Amino acid sequence: MNLEELVLPVLMVFFMLAAGAYTVAVLDRVIAGALGTPQAGSVWIAPLARGAWLMTQHANATEAPDWRAWRLAPALYLSLAAIGLAVVPWSGSLVATDLATSVVLWGSVEALATVVIFLHGWSANTLFALIGGYRYVALGLSYILISMFVLIGVALPAESLQFTQVVASQGELWNLIRQPLGLPLFLIVGLGMTFWGPLNLADSADLAGGTAAEISGPPRLVWDVARAAMLVAFSGVATSAFLGGWLGPWLPGPLWVVIKMLAVLLVLLLLGRLLPRLAPERCVTLMWVVLLPLSFIDLVWAGVGALL
Amino acid sequence: MNWLRKLASHRRVPVFPVLGMQGDEALRHLALSPDIELVDSPRHASVLLVAGEIPADRFESLRRVHDQLPSSFTTLWFRCEPSPHLESVTHIDDLDALPAALVTAYRELMEGRRESSPRILPDKPPNPWEGEGDFGQGGEGMMGGVPYGRPMAMNMEDDIRDGLTLDSLTFRLGPFFFAFPPGMAAEITLQGDLVQTWKTQLVAYPQSLDSVFFIARERPVPIAELELARARHHLHRLYRGLHLAGLESASLSALRLAQNLSTTSTLEGLRRYLSRSGFFRLAAIKGGVLGPDQARKLGGPAARAAGLDEDLRSGDAGYRRLGFSPVCQTGGDTCARWRQVLAEIDQSLQLARQAERDDVSTSEVDRIETPRGPWAEQRPEDASALLDEILPGQEWGDALATIASLDVAAVVESPLGTQTAGESPITNPLDKGVAGLSG
Repeated sequence: MNLEELVLPVLMVFFMLAAGAYTVAVLDRVIAGALGTPQAGSVWIAPLARGAWLMTQHANATEAPDWRAWRLAPALYLSLAAIGLAVVPWSGSLVATDLATSVVLWGSVEALATVVIFLHGWSANTLFALIGGYRYVALGLSYILISMFVLIGVALPAESLQFTQVVASQGELWNLIRQPLGLPLFLIVGLGMTFWGPLNLADSADLAGGTAAEISGPPRLVWDVARAAMLVAFSGVATSAFLGGWLGPWLPGPLWVVIKMLAVLLVLLLLGRLLPRLAPERCVTLMWVVLLPLSFIDLVWAGVGALL
Repeated sequence: MNWLRKLASHRRVPVFPVLGMQGDEALRHLALSPDIELVDSPRHASVLLVAGEIPADRFESLRRVHDQLPSSFTTLWFRCEPSPHLESVTHIDDLDALPAALVTAYRELMEGRRESSPRILPDKPPNPWEGEGDFGQGGEGMMGGVPYGRPMAMNMEDDIRDGLTLDSLTFRLGPFFFAFPPGMAAEITLQGDLVQTWKTQLVAYPQSLDSVFFIARERPVPIAELELARARHHLHRLYRGLHLAGLESASLSALRLAQNLSTTSTLEGLRRYLSRSGFFRLAAIKGGVLGPDQARKLGGPAARAAGLDEDLRSGDAGYRRLGFSPVCQTGGDTCARWRQVLAEIDQSLQLARQAERDDVSTSEVDRIETPRGPWAEQRPEDASALLDEILPGQEWGDALATIASLDVAAVVESPLGTQTAGESPITNPLDKGVAGLSG
């Protein structure tokens, strides 16, 4: 009982956190190398070497930070990524927590991420980290709204807020085709929510690393792992919501989930390397003026589809 | 923990570059090195590289940056003498040996064969706590005081935004901030991430141009050589602009193109990539419009990007033979300046090809157009003061992009002895090799 309901799910999530973050680090290096960034040594060793470097480095101090919040924020973000990974179903029965409201739980992860990212930026008591935090808060609400509309869209045909049901409802037709606006919208929002690549405004280069500008050593390692794990959790949710999760011929279900998640990760990481960082003001306009109305249309489309 | 440090020693060396006079050459060399990772924050580095001579008035800032690196870390000085308190550090003069020296220093540090650099400053706030109340929350309206010597964020006085009241925050940045021209420092007041005021406190170091421009002031030089040097200068600026915009691979492409530039080079691939990636539409490159007077004051590509049809090459018989006429934009903003830079690189490559084929040289020596602007009676002077006028009102990202697009640093009077055409340094044969290392 305990083994099945507690130990195995926890082990599964821990494994996903480690394996997922490592995969993101390797994939990102492979893409960077292919696009011309000079790389030394093996891409398989490089993430481990970087992790070891951060483990040996001291965690620095800033002038009068809010110590508790500053140290807690990376751990909280990692916990949120773990919660996100816990709701991703690997097959009809293999899922860490098969809540009846797992879609809602994912929504709360997105909302709490805003709090944690701001906390991370604010608690360092330094300029760039604070601006990074401000920027995320300014944009976070638009990400959450669009994401929720899109996810309600996939919950309608399933008549359930449970990810396993959402996947099961795609037996005949994946939501990718049934709701063509859904996945593109969700991917763009995903880049924003995980502040990655063109939508990395919180930890951006113009802020010398933003909320992470002043961290070093183990807290930075936790923050980096959490960011990568959140990207993996996001790709897991996208796989379940739009790509039919474990559904697919010939191969076992979990393998299909891995393949689909890798495909989503590849797209996100490629976009991250190919596109310039958006101006914050243009990003606000894009979210509220273009993507939010499109998410309404997606929702209406899904509603009409469910009625017919 | 030994195995952990051993594993850590295999990563790319995280280097924070502190640029002194003419130090940017080292920066460009390292950017293309597979063993080196240049980082933008000292907190993210294990090696502090001081490249080029640091003027005495920047020593205090250097000491502060030095102490911001997390333990364990080491420092390496390139083509400069270590400042007081930092004498016992590695020193090197040979550019080609620099990446290997950095790798060696980092590996030794990780493997415990080199001690971490000592802290120079006392580990306490530079100014006492003078906030009102225990948490600085006292004073009028929950505000007040100058905690640790910095004014607290206060309600703004003049609303230059959209009516949304945001606190103003004043701080000093530079002279080693990666997105500023080397040596520049400013006092800035932000409302949220909007620049309210900008006061340049230290101007950027004068920049050395390729030596061919200095030779062109003395005698006619082949136009092909001059134009390739001009294109290279613009590509170096493009590298920094694209890095700031988050286009790492494109910025390195620009750098590689500059490194291998010849009359057969073409900008087409890079231009196509920038256009397809949405650099001109999505990135933070709106704003920073120069008025006609400001543009004239700055001169060069920035002036032509604002529509001023002024280029001393028009008056040179050699260039007239090649059918030269200045290319211009109309917008005068950051976006127009980057378009202008691309157009001028294209034009320079075209002119270099023609000039090489027809063996054309310059005819004017008293009035030459440098990539920084016209050099007639006097060489291009520092124009940092312009930033104080054009940056207020811009968002932070746009403001930095504006700075990257403006070449405000003055030009040195004569080339420093360490530079020649391209990037190859002239060094004393005695200084060659790792023999330049001293411990």
